[in-house]
Amino acid sequence: MKDKIFGVLQRVGRSFMLPIALLPVAGLLLGIGSSFTNQTMLETYGLTGVIYEGGILYTVLDIMNQCGSAVFNNLALLFAMGVAIGMAKKEKEVAALSGAIAYLVMNTAISAMITARGGVEAMAANTTTSTLGITTLQMGVFGGIIVGLGVAALHNRFYKTQLPQVLSFFGGTRFVPIVCTAVFVVVGIVMFFLWPVVQMGIAALGDLVIRSGYAGTWIYGLLERALIPFGLHHVFYMPFWQTAVGGTAVIDGVTVQGAQNIFFAELASKSTQVFSVEATRFMAGKFPFMIFGLPGAALAMYKTAKPEKRKVAGGLLISAALTAMLTGITEPLEFTFLFVAPLMYAVHCVYAGLSYMLMHLFNVGVGMTFSGGVIDLTLFGILQGNGKTHWIWIPIVGAVYFVVYYFTFYFMITRMNLKTPGREEDGEETKLFTRSDFKAKTGVGPDGSTPAAGGSDPVSALILKGLGGKGNLSDVDCCATRLRITVLDPDKVSDTLLKQSGASGVIHKGNGVQVVYGPQVAVIKSNLEDFMDSPASDRLDSTALPTAAPAAKPAQHKTGAVLAAHMDGTVIPMAEVQDDAFSACILGQGAAIEPAEGKLYAPADAEVDNLFDTHHAIGLVTPGGVEILLHIGINTVELGGKHFTAHVQAGQKVKQGDLLISFDLDAIKAAGYLCTTPMIICNTDEYQSVAPTARGRIQAGAPLLEIKG
Amino acid sequence: MKQFTYTITDPVGVHARPAGLLVKAAKGLDSTVTVSKSDGKSAAATKLMALMGLGIKSGETVTITVEGGSEDANAAAVQQFFAENL
Repeated sequence: MKDKIFGVLQRVGRSFMLPIALLPVAGLLLGIGSSFTNQTMLETYGLTGVIYEGGILYTVLDIMNQCGSAVFNNLALLFAMGVAIGMAKKEKEVAALSGAIAYLVMNTAISAMITARGGVEAMAANTTTSTLGITTLQMGVFGGIIVGLGVAALHNRFYKTQLPQVLSFFGGTRFVPIVCTAVFVVVGIVMFFLWPVVQMGIAALGDLVIRSGYAGTWIYGLLERALIPFGLHHVFYMPFWQTAVGGTAVIDGVTVQGAQNIFFAELASKSTQVFSVEATRFMAGKFPFMIFGLPGAALAMYKTAKPEKRKVAGGLLISAALTAMLTGITEPLEFTFLFVAPLMYAVHCVYAGLSYMLMHLFNVGVGMTFSGGVIDLTLFGILQGNGKTHWIWIPIVGAVYFVVYYFTFYFMITRMNLKTPGREEDGEETKLFTRSDFKAKTGVGPDGSTPAAGGSDPVSALILKGLGGKGNLSDVDCCATRLRITVLDPDKVSDTLLKQSGASGVIHKGNGVQVVYGPQVAVIKSNLEDFMDSPASDRLDSTALPTAAPAAKPAQHKTGAVLAAHMDGTVIPMAEVQDDAFSACILGQGAAIEPAEGKLYAPADAEVDNLFDTHHAIGLVTPGGVEILLHIGINTVELGGKHFTAHVQAGQKVKQGDLLISFDLDAIKAAGYLCTTPMIICNTDEYQSVAPTARGRIQAGAPLLEIKG
Repeated sequence: MKQFTYTITDPVGVHARPAGLLVKAAKGLDSTVTVSKSDGKSAAATKLMALMGLGIKSGETVTITVEGGSEDANAAAVQQFFAENL
């Protein structure tokens, strides 16, 4: 249970990474754009002659500024889609679409409720906003995350749902956006009542954090660092960065929530005098220990490495330290010592918390896009000017941090003889540890899940084997009733195996193979893709196939036959018959004729097995055992026998070419029915293949259907 | 062995399409499913020809027998199939 919760949190944390990965670029645009369009900054650096309102350079910078803002302003939508993608197990593109739809639906429902309850004026101050042109509740990124998580849950639950035959078009992945729309209409209405209560709670919690002052900042920094090994830090810091927990401010008349949003709103605002430290206290603390502290630790590890291994260890440590310094991505370095010396990591967490607190104390107002490297320090600290950010304290505190980290780590490594890189006993390879090493040690899989017992899907195994194995596939897709596969070698495809898997027909076109399953094919495709991702799919050849499915019993082949055309008219391939039951070959394989004359003849010598009371269909069995169903028209059962005249009766023996039934072609058509007449082999699966040998115009009695035994 | 009766509500009875669907459903089960009429005629649910040969009409009551395999689950599945399609 604990592992399960951990696994889910792990995935939630990771699903934030896709939208977060966009932030550095958006931040770069916003950072550069806003810095060089900020009037104070231009005056400070004497650039007003080069960059001025209306000038080309100014316009370009303003475009950068606004495009960067566009990303930050619509973060909730990005999170709705990004989290849905991250949390969806399969068919992620459907989850993304559903996330976007659900987000729009939810906000529109809220908007309608606001209007119904007297409009924005009736709401508490600062609780509403305009998102994508929709007047809705101020929900920040939480709104997006709620949508993302909800959509992912619905998606994982429903993307394989099979609906009753009639509605099966709407089944499978197509059902997901539908159900999401319905659910989020309700969620929107509920949110309208619930969210104002939550808003008060969040505001109160934020108050508490803000009022706990410097100690609060220290605890924030310590916890944020301590959660990194588990990948859970995003869950923790996101509320501070993106919601009212991290503070609320009114900038240029717009209410902004969350530390990072406040910082960037201030950055975009041309009237900002000093960045508010109440926001940056949740960010600025990263700079001293990331740019200075951790490289100090790296130097300590380099110095304490065995002389003969120093070169190798040095290469690793320098690249890891440079990454931390420049981008603020610290995991490569942190995981190195976290793994061999958890105590060192604990000290690191305490120092990190202190760094946050010191930056708060010294009123340092430098924000960041996602982490605290030199790039962010330059854009959001140095370029903004010391008067606005007090960035100068970062290198001052940083210099101390470098020394403190160096000596602390040096001391701990030598005294406790810790096995940091380059200090291993001989024979061990020098390497940086990764998060997966950590997971491997703690017994949690890469997804946070325990390894699944893959390969428990005999049908998919059968399909894959029938298609010539995983290596033979270049593309898998599906339409309404068929699996459409592009194979490398069509000769490896086995129709027999595919039919055992439940397929009613296999169509070959060069390298393309279409396997007809009927409307449930979307589910079959999902299962097949799941199976192909499992390791069992690679072992197919060495694994004996389970033969539990009754359809998989070896087909007893009978002697083949060739059936004659049952009418004068035009041959129509079964797949093109205007009726699912026939076109998907649910009843069996065969061929249809669009009749030119209202006469049905026996396609072979046979016995009339049954004659429907409505005389629209007749079943024949040949002495060789071929079971033939002739069905005049589509849905003509509804005519109740009108316009049909039977010339034989059940039990009667007929010769090929005997007239079986005559019917009034024009009257049936006038009644609104198609007269397409399929000839179906009901016991198709007892034969190797059933395939038409003729096309186009045909005379009754000419060879039409070849049945191979 | 599990047995239940069902009265056909489909206005045109067990004709080609529903019979085909039943055959497909029955083939997917590990039990032998038999459909019997009140006059004693019966057919395996996996045999399309035999099934249609019964000529079951709307309003007629049939007895369905499920034998072998996971009978309980399969009987429930077949019952649901009849309710939804016939």
